[in-house]
Amino acid sequence: MYKILEKKEIAMRNVWYKIQAPHVAGKVKPGQFVIVRAFSNGERIPLTPVMWDAEEGWIVLITFIRGKTTMKMAAELKEGDYILNVAGPLGNPAEMKKFGKILAIGAYTGIVETFPIAKAWHEIGNYVTTLHVTFEPMVVLKEELERAVDSHIVETVPIDPNLDFPTNMKNVTKRLTETVREMLEKEDYDLVFMVGPAGDQRAVFNVVKEFGIPMKADLHPIMVDGTGMCGSCRVTVGGEVKFACIDGPEFDAYQVDWDVLIARSGYYTDMEQRAMQEYMKAIQGGGE
Amino acid sequence: MVRKRRIIKERVPTPERPAEERIHDFKEVNLGYTFGLAVKEAERCLQCPYNYAPCIKGCPVHIDIPGFISKLVQYRDDPDKAVKEALNVIWACNSLPATTGRVCPQEDQCEMNCVMGKVGDKINIGKLERFVADYAREKGIDEELLFEIIPKIEKTGQRVAIIGAGPAGLTAAGELAKLGYDVTIYEALHEPGGVLMYGIPEFRLPKSIVEKEIDKLRKLGVKILTDHIVGKTVTMDELLQNYDAVFIGSGAGTPRLINAPGINLNGIYTANEFLTRVNLMKAYLFPEYDTPVKVGKKVIVIGAGNTGMDAARSARRFGAEVTIAYRRGEEDVSARIEEVEHAKEEGIKFAYFLNPVEFIGDENGKVKAVKFEKMKALDERDSRGKRKIVGTGEYVTLEAETVIIAIGKHPNRLIINTPGLEVDKRGKIIVDENLMTSIPGVFAGGDAIRGEATVILAMGDGRRAAKAIHEYLTKKREGQKANA
Repeated sequence: MYKILEKKEIAMRNVWYKIQAPHVAGKVKPGQFVIVRAFSNGERIPLTPVMWDAEEGWIVLITFIRGKTTMKMAAELKEGDYILNVAGPLGNPAEMKKFGKILAIGAYTGIVETFPIAKAWHEIGNYVTTLHVTFEPMVVLKEELERAVDSHIVETVPIDPNLDFPTNMKNVTKRLTETVREMLEKEDYDLVFMVGPAGDQRAVFNVVKEFGIPMKADLHPIMVDGTGMCGSCRVTVGGEVKFACIDGPEFDAYQVDWDVLIARSGYYTDMEQRAMQEYMKAIQGGGE
Repeated sequence: MVRKRRIIKERVPTPERPAEERIHDFKEVNLGYTFGLAVKEAERCLQCPYNYAPCIKGCPVHIDIPGFISKLVQYRDDPDKAVKEALNVIWACNSLPATTGRVCPQEDQCEMNCVMGKVGDKINIGKLERFVADYAREKGIDEELLFEIIPKIEKTGQRVAIIGAGPAGLTAAGELAKLGYDVTIYEALHEPGGVLMYGIPEFRLPKSIVEKEIDKLRKLGVKILTDHIVGKTVTMDELLQNYDAVFIGSGAGTPRLINAPGINLNGIYTANEFLTRVNLMKAYLFPEYDTPVKVGKKVIVIGAGNTGMDAARSARRFGAEVTIAYRRGEEDVSARIEEVEHAKEEGIKFAYFLNPVEFIGDENGKVKAVKFEKMKALDERDSRGKRKIVGTGEYVTLEAETVIIAIGKHPNRLIINTPGLEVDKRGKIIVDENLMTSIPGVFAGGDAIRGEATVILAMGDGRRAAKAIHEYLTKKREGQKANA
């Protein structure tokens, strides 16, 4: 049981939880994640500590409300409540060395995972530019990133209420790839790093590839245990089967089989929507 | 005293729910004995002497089987006393009888050489063990016995860390707690139990029973830290600084995959993932429980071990038409006889001599069929006594919307990367005759050293390791006293 010390909505659909979890706070390194199980009938979801304090024993998680679990957490958990399980840290830390000039990208709430890695890269002497592309009301960690890295760029796309969400998301993908192309044309980078939806990661990779710049991607296939036990998160990298949870989550973007990743990431979309709709019906219907 | 007795050849059957009823739910299949039926079965036992009894020799933890069976007959007029006495005999060797009574492969162990088998049916030892445990639990007799034990425990003041709350770790923890050690279990998942929780289905081992067995450990003073991954949350070095000894019971959690094109298509599960979703996460209760699982109309399970049977029978309960494809023949099926029989009763088909060579997907990256090479057996046998098989060059393609790979597991990778811990080529931790690893004070047992074995062998290791740790720590204690 892990106490919620602080909870706030920091942007549309982005919720900040500061959680007492000393076992993670004392050990986590940038690039690692935790598995959270918030409710007794709940699922296990991977989330990334954004910031932490080993001495005080807390971590911060920022969730993007996209399914039943994140929605129920936002709706039902209050400060002072407890999260049932926070397991971790899991996965391998990001590679910490001097790459030179780095462009670290976060699409949507992916920026919260980019944040600790970019900050650490900057601290060891890399020149780090971060790029956050998202919808206008969903900007997060702007001031924090401006303080943490050499240059932080935010590109926002308005939400067109006349268009459905997937079409709106296509506009973000377009802005993302256009911006990355402009930046790579203007300046030489030694490394591109990206966190975000697999489709956007591939779209960015297709641009980066043209410039021949090394690229790392943090992959987010569906996970269950997060400890290498189930194989749900398997990805094809360099023609081999890898488990994102124990071999990753960071991989060489040039080696990733994006078709496999994208197909696997969407396998439960219909059931996820059903779970969310039933939950929304239940809370709108007046509770129990 | 030798008493003349009438030999009863036939086993007293245990009631089972009919196949057509049970394939619609996850409730337990076998209903077990009542006291009356248990006594009738117990009376069939010939009461071989302790030093001879082949059942005791066949049991990996050497339970005094004739001893506990005789209590049921001796105190037949006082069921509570009969069960308490019988449980006391079992507990001397086995602290999880409700579990082993259900999942042990008795036909290859205690029941294998039962003398009754020469004239009739062998004694149903597994179901008698299960009866004692179940009756004791329902009547609170196990707690009564536990509370008689607890005050007698003398604390040693030494601390032992256990890695993994599966059968090996739970057993070691219980034994060490009874010997007076301060025991803490580190468990990566959110529930203790290991394979008993994530692997073995509810209809074979109800989770409430496992939870009760774990409650008893807590009453013995064992602390369980869930969400702690040794190697990540805490390192072996830190454990060695804070504890006097460590036991590794981390199991064989890494699933083996088939090296064939299409293995990463959607709809292909490892048995571990499928069973974890269904058992631990309760995906069969979706959307009441949040974790989804997808079971198509046609399911192919690859592999015919106990895990294969568990996966196939679970899939059947989602309404699927299930085929178990095995690369060898029927004679080499390694699952327990009871599981194979139950699977057949439930309408699961078996297809032999099929070796998967390719998984075929649709345009959305979802599996739709499996291509197999037909195999044939040679007369020559391999090191495990199974007939060698070779490909025939002929192929067959079977449709499937869901494929479950149940061809085995390797030891957990996270733990075997511990610096200084020696492992063999297959990742099994190397131990000496006292189950001590290459790191002094660190012991290991169960699937972590065996690769892939059974619950009871893991429990046997947990017990042996507890004994070895006790000896190791007793010496350490005496050494410290001598120095003081």
